Amino acid sequence: MSTCPRCQAEENKIRTEHKGLNAKGELVWTIFNCESCAFTWRDSEPASTIDYNLREEFFRVDPEKPYPVIMPPAQYK
Amino acid sequence: MSDKNVPLSDNALKVAKRIGSLRDFLEFLKENNQCINWSEEVYPEPDIRNVAVAAGRDSMNGPAVIFDNIAGYPGKKMVLGVHGSFTNIALLLGHPKGTTIKELFYDIISRWGADKPLLDFIEQDKAPVNENRLTNNFNLYELLPLYRINEYDGGFYIGKANVVSRDPRDPDNFGKQNVGIYRIQVQAPGEFTLLSVPAHDMGRHIMAAEQEGVPLRISVMLGNHPAMCMFAATPIGYDESEFAYASQMMGSPMRLTKSGNGMDILADSEMVIEAELMNGVRSLEGPFGEFPGSYSGVRKIPRFKVTAISHRNDPIFENIYIGRGWTEHDTLIGLNTSAPIYAALIKDFPEVVAVNALYQHGLTGIISVKNRFAGFAKSVAMRALGTPHGTMYLKNLIMVDDDVDPFDLNEVMWALSTRTRAEDTIVIPNMPMIPIDPAAEVAGKGHRLIIDATSFMPPDKLGGDSKIVTPPAGPEIDAIAKVIQLLQNGGKS
Ligand SMILES: [Zn+2]
Repeated sequence: MSTCPRCQAEENKIRTEHKGLNAKGELVWTIFNCESCAFTWRDSEPASTIDYNLREEFFRVDPEKPYPVIMPPAQYK
Repeated sequence: MSDKNVPLSDNALKVAKRIGSLRDFLEFLKENNQCINWSEEVYPEPDIRNVAVAAGRDSMNGPAVIFDNIAGYPGKKMVLGVHGSFTNIALLLGHPKGTTIKELFYDIISRWGADKPLLDFIEQDKAPVNENRLTNNFNLYELLPLYRINEYDGGFYIGKANVVSRDPRDPDNFGKQNVGIYRIQVQAPGEFTLLSVPAHDMGRHIMAAEQEGVPLRISVMLGNHPAMCMFAATPIGYDESEFAYASQMMGSPMRLTKSGNGMDILADSEMVIEAELMNGVRSLEGPFGEFPGSYSGVRKIPRFKVTAISHRNDPIFENIYIGRGWTEHDTLIGLNTSAPIYAALIKDFPEVVAVNALYQHGLTGIISVKNRFAGFAKSVAMRALGTPHGTMYLKNLIMVDDDVDPFDLNEVMWALSTRTRAEDTIVIPNMPMIPIDPAAEVAGKGHRLIIDATSFMPPDKLGGDSKIVTPPAGPEIDAIAKVIQLLQNGGKS
């Protein structure tokens, strides 16, 4: 998994979170997290969820966009 | 909320006494064929979602589903649908299978007003939740069989946690301790975001901690006593304890102990995650498939860091399927949404018989009322829009007569078909609305609809030429219906 399925962040932004093993200790899947857009995914998921080109465009995330902030901490300053 | 409290039935007390934890309830459900094991191997995605949706189709009798063979999670167990059907809720409240939704509605109302909190405090080292204790190297992805609930969710969610927090300015006040259900997205092996808004108790606690620069510690309880999940979502006053409330509703004690970070927690929960607010930090969260059946958007929300984890041996991870209805979320909160609206209405209008606000947290409500005079039902509808829940949620209201069971949609459709004139429809434009309503023209604002499907009364001249058939009804017929059901099931309820 070289880029983020949701924001296409490069590999250096992708953190490997956890490897799921079976009872024999063999690798079954790996969970990744994108530090740019906070997307978490497992490499065993359907392509419609983890392939950038197959995902619905509506759900793409641009980390540069000003998403609404819940209870903005700046209000206390 | 009301002073109608009536003593619980023997069976309700017997069941309440027996059920002290999620495990007890699963065993009880199994004995009643309301809990199954899904032992064929499933992948976290999309298999769990698929089974959850299929099991949730039967809102009346669907079972809880235990997954005990999840790829990548050998030995781990996960359960869905514990509150997924009205029969499961009937069993919890000490009723037999076949109990109607309307009967459950009246049962919930009759339980209100008990004023004796039943709380047992037990030593930390005797609490099953403390059988295992982790204080470092947290990995939620490993401890819990996490998965993506809906395909475009932003990550893996914990959707059925009861989260305990205390007012950080008054941390010794038991009454100001809040237990609520907030959606949690795991953001790192030992970190998560938790969605709350300023109107929630948790939101107030977060703002207070950040304003004062003091720590906010929380305990996230997973796999809880089934009454806790059902009643923690009921709107009660800011200084009433949800633990006390849940115990009063059940008529049996909740066993509490202290978490490592000073909260009161259920001693028999499967897992308790202790965490601390990362003051001033906001992380991208969402989307998440929410109860209206649509995704909420991406936002930046408060983030927490895990500080310790306690769990029982072989913990069972309890989660919920939520999305386009019908889902477990609807069954879990439906009756508790309906009952307070009813309680508010009968204060002024004793003619109100029942309130069904089961649909999408009350976005559509059906109220059964006996008309005092022509047009009366419309006045009651206006009053319903002014109740605390109605102000934001009751978007579509259908008013039916007292002879129509608002929980029986066949009867409601009959009333709509035979008692509605198009001009008995009222649209109130530009009203407040929940921001996540997908039908809102502007988020947070929209139109309300009242359909008066009650019968005509003088001075109304309509309807004078037709007479309604009066089929036999009442307790006698209800009893016969149950006998028929029993005969059909070979004598077993
Ligand atoms: Zn990304």
